[in-house]
Amino acid sequence: MTSRTVFYNIIRFFFLISFQVLILNHIYLGGFINPYFYIYFILLLPFDTPKWMLLISAFVIGICIDIFTNTIGLNAAASLLMAFCRPFAIIVISSGPESLIGDTPSLRNQGIKWFLYYATSLVLIHHFALFYLEIFRLNEFFLTFTRLILSSIFTMTLVMISEYLLYIQGK
Amino acid sequence: MRNLFVFLRERYFYLLFLILETISLVLLVNNNDFQKSSLFVVSNNLSGSVNSIFSNISEYFSLRKTNSVLIEELARLHSRIPEAFYVTDKNVFYKKDSIVHLEYKYISAKVISNSTNKRNNFLMINKGSLHGIVNHMGVIIGNKVVGQVVGVSPHFSWIMSLLNKDSRVSGKFKKNEQLVNVEWNGVNYRIGQLKEIPKHIQMVKGDTIISSGNSDIFPPGLMIGAIADFTITPDENFNRGQIFFSTDFNSLGYIEVVVDLMRQEKETLKSSFKTQ
Repeated sequence: MTSRTVFYNIIRFFFLISFQVLILNHIYLGGFINPYFYIYFILLLPFDTPKWMLLISAFVIGICIDIFTNTIGLNAAASLLMAFCRPFAIIVISSGPESLIGDTPSLRNQGIKWFLYYATSLVLIHHFALFYLEIFRLNEFFLTFTRLILSSIFTMTLVMISEYLLYIQGK
Repeated sequence: MRNLFVFLRERYFYLLFLILETISLVLLVNNNDFQKSSLFVVSNNLSGSVNSIFSNISEYFSLRKTNSVLIEELARLHSRIPEAFYVTDKNVFYKKDSIVHLEYKYISAKVISNSTNKRNNFLMINKGSLHGIVNHMGVIIGNKVVGQVVGVSPHFSWIMSLLNKDSRVSGKFKKNEQLVNVEWNGVNYRIGQLKEIPKHIQMVKGDTIISSGNSDIFPPGLMIGAIADFTITPDENFNRGQIFFSTDFNSLGYIEVVVDLMRQEKETLKSSFKTQ
């Protein structure tokens, strides 16, 4: 991991927090669908990030989002779970070491199929934890499930758009 | 001892995850008690100032709407002043200070953050304990119900709107004063749910629901909404209904916090009966 990668990740960290807090938290599609795009930071951490660093940075970005939405612990718990699952997701999805070329997971290096599996599974894990921790009861199971799926689709759309933009740029 | 270190080195990822996850869950659960959490006050001031900057910019886009709300409110107040009444008999309209006692006072404040898209929605306003706001005060806009204060810091307050799973407002039918409870199921921010409607009440669509004044949070007679739909359930003890909220929770600019000046007296009376 070069110091350049570290620098890019720090910039991305602050950019995604302000983007989430200042813009995305004010967007409601269809009344109650809200994207949680800040987890793009965790998706894009380099492959060789130390595992403790992965957990700590996920925890910190979650707490930062929580401070601005006054739900201390909610986003932190969800993104922490997502960061915990990330190494396992990479192992399960990758067919061999040849799919881990490049520094960070991206559409350009790993191909669309790999990246879709990777991002979708982690976004779903994050949203699942987030939405069910928020309501903390099971009697609205299916309603929450609908909201969870719709928000995941919204987040995934944003992730794929920004990946595609990076893809064009890199060409 | 050496084995312990080896174990820790091999398993530190799981241990760290468990530790951090526990910390965040503990924070999450404790955070339900807003006023007890000192972290809340810190984050409230920080996020409050960021949100004020944002709302200072965005309020320009809703000036037209704010104006029309103010004009409506002005017209309502104009119709209340003594000059608006035609005096037929001086004796009837004579008010003596000891008979009419001020019960409610209103503090106006600006909404600096708001949401309608979550299961539990809260608002933040730019006034707090320094301006005399304490917990459990009601919050209204015009003569419509918005929610109640659940947390205060010196300069900001945190308000639970009706759009929350913990929100339960006691209302009544305007036509016959029958009590009902208004809740929200998390689907549509314009539609609320009416619970515990007694069987014998004859409802029609469009019946007005107003606040009952039973809960010590809102003064009686504030608009909550109108009945949009209802179902007669023969096998249950109560009927259910849907209510169309009068308040548009997605466009709250300036709101008012209700200060009940006789609250102390009411609470003292209540607690004196509890202790006996």
